[in-house]
Amino acid sequence: MRSYEPNLHSLPDGSSSASRLALAAKRLGYSGIIITNHTTSGWPLGVEAARLVGGIEVAIGAEIVASDQRSLHSKATSLRDRAAFLAVHGGDEKINRAACEDPNVDLLAHPHRGRAGIGVAGAKAARDNQVAIALDLSSMIILRGPARVRWMETVRRDLNLIEKFDLPLMMTTGARSHLDLRSPRDLTALAGLLGLDRERALEALALPESILDLNRRRWTSVGVELV
Amino acid sequence: MRSWLPVLRDRRRYIAFEVEAEDRVRAGDLMAEIRAAQTSLFGDLGSAKNRLRMISFDGRFGLLRSSHLRTEESRALLVTVTSVGGTRAAIRVRGISGSIKAATEKYIPQSTLQPGENKRRVDLGPVSGSVVRTRGREIDLCPDDPKMTEGSATRYVGLTSFDLCGEDIDADGTSDGL
Repeated sequence: MRSYEPNLHSLPDGSSSASRLALAAKRLGYSGIIITNHTTSGWPLGVEAARLVGGIEVAIGAEIVASDQRSLHSKATSLRDRAAFLAVHGGDEKINRAACEDPNVDLLAHPHRGRAGIGVAGAKAARDNQVAIALDLSSMIILRGPARVRWMETVRRDLNLIEKFDLPLMMTTGARSHLDLRSPRDLTALAGLLGLDRERALEALALPESILDLNRRRWTSVGVELV
Repeated sequence: MRSWLPVLRDRRRYIAFEVEAEDRVRAGDLMAEIRAAQTSLFGDLGSAKNRLRMISFDGRFGLLRSSHLRTEESRALLVTVTSVGGTRAAIRVRGISGSIKAATEKYIPQSTLQPGENKRRVDLGPVSGSVVRTRGREIDLCPDDPKMTEGSATRYVGLTSFDLCGEDIDADGTSDGL
């Protein structure tokens, strides 16, 4: 099974260069990584060097930071052609909902950061627009005590929703440094504690690759491909 | 200690791990951090069921003992360690095995120096590798071909500076034979 890490941040957004992330991810057993720097801090440096690492695919996407729904939609439209993969900086209830309603968006990153979750309406919209929901395990790794308990409660509720509506799911650590990266096996073990079974976890790790493939094709309009 | 009945003896798994850190990591700090992560994730009750022990740690590679039914739990709690003694670190699980011997042989590299890592190279035709350390005229060599030390249970190939006569290992300005 090929695993991809869909939501990494490299220099100048994170503290490791793209090539360092690629090297660490390759060693951990990933087949590819997607670097999605926040739109507020700019495109990754040294992408060419990362491609030289070899044995691992490095795709460049973006993570949209928006303050309201309108700016989110306009940024998504303008970035769609330039980025191989579009994520949205989630966490706020309104932004989560708006991201789920935008077909240009590939991934809603860390929707559970602000105790918001996706909610039933968001889940339905995400299903119709094929927006993947990220299970960002960085909170589980970094937080301790009551904060982590609250996060786990939100996630548990949303995993039920994801199960019910059969939403596309991805797993990530949202790493900003090579020390934040964790291997696919490790993420599967963590997700197991949250009640996600092994098959579903492996599916979630493999999903980014198929989304990247879809994005690479040339679509003239919805459902129409230029061959 | 009196031996426990063999049928009641709890079965174990040994987790071979590697610590990636920005600075040197001490075994005591690491174990304290792992314990803290464990109690935070599973509480006292859950931790007591796992019987996690540190078997060895050499600053980079180590072995942990865990209950054979709780290896996934152990893996998960090792994931949640993000710093050790104040420095950023990450624990990478290299593999899990049923005995100390198997875990060590399979997952912990015997030569901590990878061939080609060192700048000082020696190439004597049949013997080639990189210099690990030198003392007087003695030279320890990490061979490129790991099979070279098989059968003698050593890590490195022992050489002297006499073996290197005519070699250009002195070319970097150290003309004391090494």
